[in-house]
Amino acid sequence: MSSSKRITKELTDCTTTPPPNISITLPSDSNISLWHITLSAPAESVYYPGKFGIIVQFPLEYPFKPPQITFATRIYHPNITNETNGSICLSLLKTDNWKPSTKIVTVLEAIRQLLVEPQPDDPLETRIAEQYKNERKEFEKEARAYVSKYAKGQVKFNVVDGAGAAGEGQQAGRAS
Amino acid sequence: MAETERDTELQTLEAIFPEIQTPKPDDPYTIALELPVAPSKPVIVYFPTASNDGPPPDPTAGRAANGVNPQAGLAIATGRQGQGHQNPNQQEQPQVDSHELAHLPSLRLELSFGPRYPGEEPPKVAISTNPPWLPAETIKRLQDDGPRLWEDIGRDMVGFSYIDHVQQAAEDIFGLVGDGGALEVDPRHKIAILDYDIQARRATFEKETFECGVCLDPKKGAFCHKMMDCGHVFCVECLQDFYNSAIKEGNLAAVKCPAPNCAKEREKSRSPSGRKRKKPKVFISPSELLQIPIDEETVRRYVTLKYKTELESDKNTIYCPRQWCNGAARSKKHKRPTGLELPEASDDEEGSASEDDDSEETPEGEVGKSKPYNKTEDLLAICDTCSFAFCSRCMQSWHGEFVGCRRAKEELTAEELASIEYMKAHTTPCPTCAAPAQKTHGCNHMICYRCQTHFCYLCSAWLDPGNPYQHFNTAPDGRVTTCFMRLWELELGDGAEVGYGFAGGRAGQPAPAVVFDERVEQFIPEIEEATDGEDEGDHNDHRGRPAAAAAEARGQPQQQQQQQQQQPPQQQQQPLPAGAPAQEVGIAREGPLVLRIAANNPPPAPAVAVAVAPVNNPGGANRGGPRGRQGAGAGVPARGRGGAAVHRGGHQHQAQQQQPGAGRRGRGGRGGGGNAAAFGPGRGGGARAAAAAGHNQNHRQNNNNQAQQQQRRNNNNNNNNNNNQNHAGGNGGAGAEHDMVEMLEMLDGNGNEEMDPRQEEWVREFVRLALNDEEDEFDEEDGIRDFGVAF
Repeated sequence: MSSSKRITKELTDCTTTPPPNISITLPSDSNISLWHITLSAPAESVYYPGKFGIIVQFPLEYPFKPPQITFATRIYHPNITNETNGSICLSLLKTDNWKPSTKIVTVLEAIRQLLVEPQPDDPLETRIAEQYKNERKEFEKEARAYVSKYAKGQVKFNVVDGAGAAGEGQQAGRAS
Repeated sequence: MAETERDTELQTLEAIFPEIQTPKPDDPYTIALELPVAPSKPVIVYFPTASNDGPPPDPTAGRAANGVNPQAGLAIATGRQGQGHQNPNQQEQPQVDSHELAHLPSLRLELSFGPRYPGEEPPKVAISTNPPWLPAETIKRLQDDGPRLWEDIGRDMVGFSYIDHVQQAAEDIFGLVGDGGALEVDPRHKIAILDYDIQARRATFEKETFECGVCLDPKKGAFCHKMMDCGHVFCVECLQDFYNSAIKEGNLAAVKCPAPNCAKEREKSRSPSGRKRKKPKVFISPSELLQIPIDEETVRRYVTLKYKTELESDKNTIYCPRQWCNGAARSKKHKRPTGLELPEASDDEEGSASEDDDSEETPEGEVGKSKPYNKTEDLLAICDTCSFAFCSRCMQSWHGEFVGCRRAKEELTAEELASIEYMKAHTTPCPTCAAPAQKTHGCNHMICYRCQTHFCYLCSAWLDPGNPYQHFNTAPDGRVTTCFMRLWELELGDGAEVGYGFAGGRAGQPAPAVVFDERVEQFIPEIEEATDGEDEGDHNDHRGRPAAAAAEARGQPQQQQQQQQQQPPQQQQQPLPAGAPAQEVGIAREGPLVLRIAANNPPPAPAVAVAVAPVNNPGGANRGGPRGRQGAGAGVPARGRGGAAVHRGGHQHQAQQQQPGAGRRGRGGRGGGGNAAAFGPGRGGGARAAAAAGHNQNHRQNNNNQAQQQQRRNNNNNNNNNNNQNHAGGNGGAGAEHDMVEMLEMLDGNGNEEMDPRQEEWVREFVRLALNDEEDEFDEEDGIRDFGVAF
């Protein structure tokens, strides 16, 4: 089964019944395996009304290998690295947890849920996680500051060169 | 008239039951019909044991005799979906074998309409089943129902009503299900009946439609496979693609049900006690793979790979010394798979089945301890592949237990040495199976590709799969590990390719180091005999360090080691960069390259330069020494990711100076912080450009030189006698960030360092270039791309 067939199917599903707060565009018509997602932070999250760009890169072996997902918009979040190309630690996406029958919608919903409920016990940014746990007010302030600084207006998807290469080279050991 | 009536009835029946056959070609008025016996609800069928079955059981009598035993009823009550359930009350009712069946073998009904039918003669009825599971009484009763019905409706066309009557009777299995809710059947028919049920289920399944979770297409059951253990349904095509590619890549861990969380949940549910570590079976059996079907070749590979992985993850496995063979020695623990069946893994009993009965399996791991005497069972190993009998200690053909064997002083080829070196420099062993892992990117939470153990890349510690990140955080009781806040170190991976070397969790970690050495010993069997006085001295320093032995063997001058030992004093004599002493802080030499400096500590007055020399470090921990690594130096508080006060020190500066140029065997790209690391620019050795073949010693040499160069430039030490001026220091991208931070801090006057004017000038120049994005002028080999971003 070719990956493009399944991706097309998922894309159709996503466009006919778009998941809430999520819109999908393809940066290039010829490449169906690169998606640009615009995720509007849910109203109940501290990131509201920020809009976040998420880049989804489907590997050639999709759905047998998990998609690579990165935040193109900076975000102040315990589970997302605080850098221009924010990586997410989502157990769903780890190679050993990934199951071919997981759909991208599920993944996106998990990410949206992560905005509402960060998981400070499984952090990528330990400092932010500490702050989230102990000084919620400060955390919220900082998160809002990030939103107004980075997540306002048109979402920008900077060309991320890491996205393509990141899927390779897991021969020896797997890092999460 | 009569003729017409018969014909009309036949036509009607044929219209209703198109599957009607006429078994007798010469008699069109005899028809046959297969009536499925599919109870509306699955029925429990039990087969009394052969011992008490005697004559063909009369169902009623049988039940009465057994009293339909409360036990049987109980078995049913506790019974469940699956097959092969055993009665729990086995003492009283030893072998009640009950199964839940949805389909029983169909009933064949033959109706023969004689010439005088329907007016004067009832239809002749014959009923049979294959196998004859239906009791004779029931058959007789059903057959008698024909004429009776014919009478009841006034001797008229009875065909349809009779068939309908039988069908209805079949729905509750002709009233045969007793009070216990079970149907008793002669055990002689067991196989056939079970078989029929499977086939019938399969047929039903094939008619259904499923949406395959992988390709998301609806597929007919005939093109699908239902997973045996969990019942998830996927289309055959996807399963084939998935498993074929997984097996081809050797990713055995993926050969599980592809449904999300499926395998995981079963794993959880089966080990509720937690303590009992029976591995739940979530892998797919070879026979199921064949059923999917996966072709035999692939399944064979799967079986072989599984066996191999199992052997390889066992540190005690001994391999055949014959080069063309390399098979594993026979072992009780790991049975060689026969055919396409995986032997039932017996390693669950590990521990309980104590070491001593693993006769063929000499615990290689204990080679380090001297063995008092040569017991045959300890030493004799027999290759499973070629049946070669050899001594597991000296790896020569078996010499009997009374011949003392000595270490084979065979030399390793340069290539083997290089790869051992490389593995040491750029891999971390799994704490469970010692498989070396090299990180290519990502965080330091690793999962062993072989045994799926979660571990820390930095220190090789076992991590709790449930909460692996705890290790990098503060524990609930407030303790922190040495890897605190270091989840993302080495994010770009480990190895010469990524710009700097890292000794993985090996250096400074006695446990993994020893573990690794055991593996090396496969190459260089090292024997310690109690009587072997000669070796004694050596062992004191290099116990369990065959690599050191190897170094000797390949003519590494002894003086090398002496030099190393002399280094600590030298190091302190060496002019340290101005101001550095003030900042020198206690150094925890926990990681190879990595020095942790307590950022907020008030600087203790005198410099404490800790050099780790071989003499000081008995045991496996001393691997740094002979390789010219010194865990000396200190650093500036550096901002790691997330503000961690972590800083990768420079390199073995001094060792390099001793012997610049070719022929140095010093370990490059790692090592404790160089002694002058106060300004040490983090991850040196960044030979991205020089990377290519990591096995190449020269490359490592380059790394050293580069690292050193870099350091030298930063430090602007004049005590350097290295002539390699043309090496531009290759900063890894990430390293650059650290460098800049440090430099800035220096400029800020943050910390106590002072720089001499030249240093200061150099740093200013570098920063200026960096800000203008021109730092390439400094570093022509490799761009330092991240500079712009870092600020």
